[in-house]
Amino acid sequence: MKLKKILSAGLGIATIAGVMAGCQTVSADGSAGQNGSADSGQQAASENMTEAGSVVWEENLLDPENPVTVKFYSYSFSSPMFGTGFQTMMDNFNNGIGKEKGVILEFVADDIGTKAETDVKVGQQVDIVQASFQSIDGDRDTLGISAFEDVFPKEELDAHFEGIPENCLNLGKIDDKMYALAFTFSTPILYVNGDLLEQAGLDPTRAPKDWDEMYDWCVQIKEKTGKYGLALSPTNSTGWVTDSILYSNGATVLNSDRTAVEFASDEGVKAFESWKRFYMDDVAVGGTDTEAMQAFAAGEAAMHIQSTSVYTSFVSASESAGWTLYGYPMPGFDGQPSIPTNSGSAIVVRPDSEQKAQAIWEVIKYVTGDEGYTIITSEIGYLPLRPYLADDPDYLKDFVDANPIIRVNIDRLEDIQPASIWPGDHAAELLTLYNDMSVKALTTDADVAQTMQEYQDQMNQYIQQ
Amino acid sequence: MERTVTKMSGSRTGIRIDMASKRTASRAKGKISGKVKPWLFLLPTIVIIVFWMIKPLIQTLMYTLYDWNMLPGTVPEFVGLSNFKELFNAPEFGSAIVNTFYYILMMLPFSVILPMIIAALIQNVNPKMQRIYRALIFIPMIMPPVATATVFQWLLHQTNGLINHVLISVGLIDNGINFFMTEGLARLMIALITGWKMIGFATLMFSASIGNISPEYYEAAKMDGSRGIRRFIDITVPMLSPTMMLMIMMSILFASQWTFAYIDVMTQGGPYGTTTNIYYLIYKYAFGNSNVGVSAAASLVFLVVFGIIALLLQKLSSRLAFYDN
Repeated sequence: MKLKKILSAGLGIATIAGVMAGCQTVSADGSAGQNGSADSGQQAASENMTEAGSVVWEENLLDPENPVTVKFYSYSFSSPMFGTGFQTMMDNFNNGIGKEKGVILEFVADDIGTKAETDVKVGQQVDIVQASFQSIDGDRDTLGISAFEDVFPKEELDAHFEGIPENCLNLGKIDDKMYALAFTFSTPILYVNGDLLEQAGLDPTRAPKDWDEMYDWCVQIKEKTGKYGLALSPTNSTGWVTDSILYSNGATVLNSDRTAVEFASDEGVKAFESWKRFYMDDVAVGGTDTEAMQAFAAGEAAMHIQSTSVYTSFVSASESAGWTLYGYPMPGFDGQPSIPTNSGSAIVVRPDSEQKAQAIWEVIKYVTGDEGYTIITSEIGYLPLRPYLADDPDYLKDFVDANPIIRVNIDRLEDIQPASIWPGDHAAELLTLYNDMSVKALTTDADVAQTMQEYQDQMNQYIQQ
Repeated sequence: MERTVTKMSGSRTGIRIDMASKRTASRAKGKISGKVKPWLFLLPTIVIIVFWMIKPLIQTLMYTLYDWNMLPGTVPEFVGLSNFKELFNAPEFGSAIVNTFYYILMMLPFSVILPMIIAALIQNVNPKMQRIYRALIFIPMIMPPVATATVFQWLLHQTNGLINHVLISVGLIDNGINFFMTEGLARLMIALITGWKMIGFATLMFSASIGNISPEYYEAAKMDGSRGIRRFIDITVPMLSPTMMLMIMMSILFASQWTFAYIDVMTQGGPYGTTTNIYYLIYKYAFGNSNVGVSAAASLVFLVVFGIIALLLQKLSSRLAFYDN
């Protein structure tokens, strides 16, 4: 009996010890230091820096003899399409400026922030993350990222941002602070399979002037060739094309202070009704973004709205199948040009010391500098954040001359408007609801106005929680 | 003589007493070691269970009362029961519950009815062919779920998929079907793919059970003039009742888990939340939305509901299952 009691007591103590360990995690305030480098961004901002814009680096803390490793979590690095370009950047940096300054760049293959988020939570070193624009506000909480003004000196930022259009610098701003710097991104491009258009009796050397004409073309293509006119996912991955379509018809998605969604306006409903016709009349193929891309690459759809990140794979598909690829800006409504938004990714940072901030800044200067963007544009197809490179024979001029579709994209930089950055507390839920709204309103018999209103109400409830 | 006897008996008695006390001492020692030994053997398991199951379970219970995003350096905020309120008010919660039961119901034919019939049919072919059939039917089970999901995505692609090409070429449809973005169809596809994947395991379980049924029953039934189907209904089905109950219990408790990979890879819960289930919701809240509190609340609801179901099933199992001694 005694033994039983002892063992029961032992078991009880073990359970309580376990629970206490659990409680420790729940009540952890980070002071234990167990999390090491994970106590980054927000803490670093308060420890090392003073108020926004007043960061001063009094001395160079980098030492080539004792290099600092910067871990850059990148989803592009894990992609077979983009990975080689990123490998080139990493090799060039580490053998060049990195060696000279004392910084080692290490890309870590990520899955759009998932691994970064998990690693931050288990206390791994995560210094830079290639994040989606839509989730930046949420990343302030979930990744503990810092605003650039809070961790880098103003004069460094000003010097580096010279030559980057103001519009692009604004893409990652929240509450007037830059939490993310645009990195690999594109505007919506209308890719065209020239051969299918010709078979349908259409001229592939010009783009449809607006969505009405694009619809007529799609009907004609379906009748003449049996193929779909357009491939466009109703969710288009993060909804960035949806934003562009709504903006182009005069609608807005979020109000100016991001406290309410307002896409269910008359303009928004009209834009969606124009878009819905394509699916309802079976002249467009929807599905996921990947499925739409696959349909276009396989020659099953004549036109496709997508970012230039997949440009090189479409070039390969067209060359191997023997059709001609054209590219134009996405059309607008009623003969007006469209308002482009940004796809792709931004750089967010979480330095945990001034030395790390200096090392991260060297990496950012390189990957978003002249050489970095030359690699990103020529090997992947994304926009150069520095448009002047397209005219510089030392950098991208030859490439852009040989690939005029990139010029189409660069020309749109002046008009670019930020895609929706969902309010932080419920960023993930809001993005899901936004995409759900698009699918339900566009691909089912549901009434467009009613569906948009229902989802708008639901999303506003989340925001107001 | 008397002295001697007394002496002898005294000495005998003395010896007896010594031996008895020795025996008692060694018995006591043996008793202690006999009591300690099993616990020593169990200790590693107990430690593992406490550390990996009890502790996380209690932690989960606590998280239901906190708002926390798991970011190191942040302090969880006590919010009382508001995580439950948020969970029950979430637009996808209702459909997640409905879909959880839908997947359970859809799993039953693939884990009980079809495997039992297939196992019974295989039993009647020659042993060589039995092994080949069993191997063939087991192949889906060993395929990695993500690879399986990708293959089905290709097969069911709206424009490039083989299934749509076949359906169009035989004139059944004019335009390709978007299987994963059509309400109802997407959910059905996930259930069918999960069922196809699980059917091999269930068939093996039923085959093993059928192999254990005494042939004497069938011989006796044959002598009485019973036909094949009658023998299946009257002998095979009752004798398989313990396996049936096991498979039913597994289907009910694990259907959410089995469908998870296909939901994640093929639909991510869409279109508009119509394929999500409670298991996927727990994952999405924790790792998509970084909302540990609501994720823990959903986990607790899942644990309580399925705990009750498991208890009821156990009771039902002891009533309905027939064991041949």
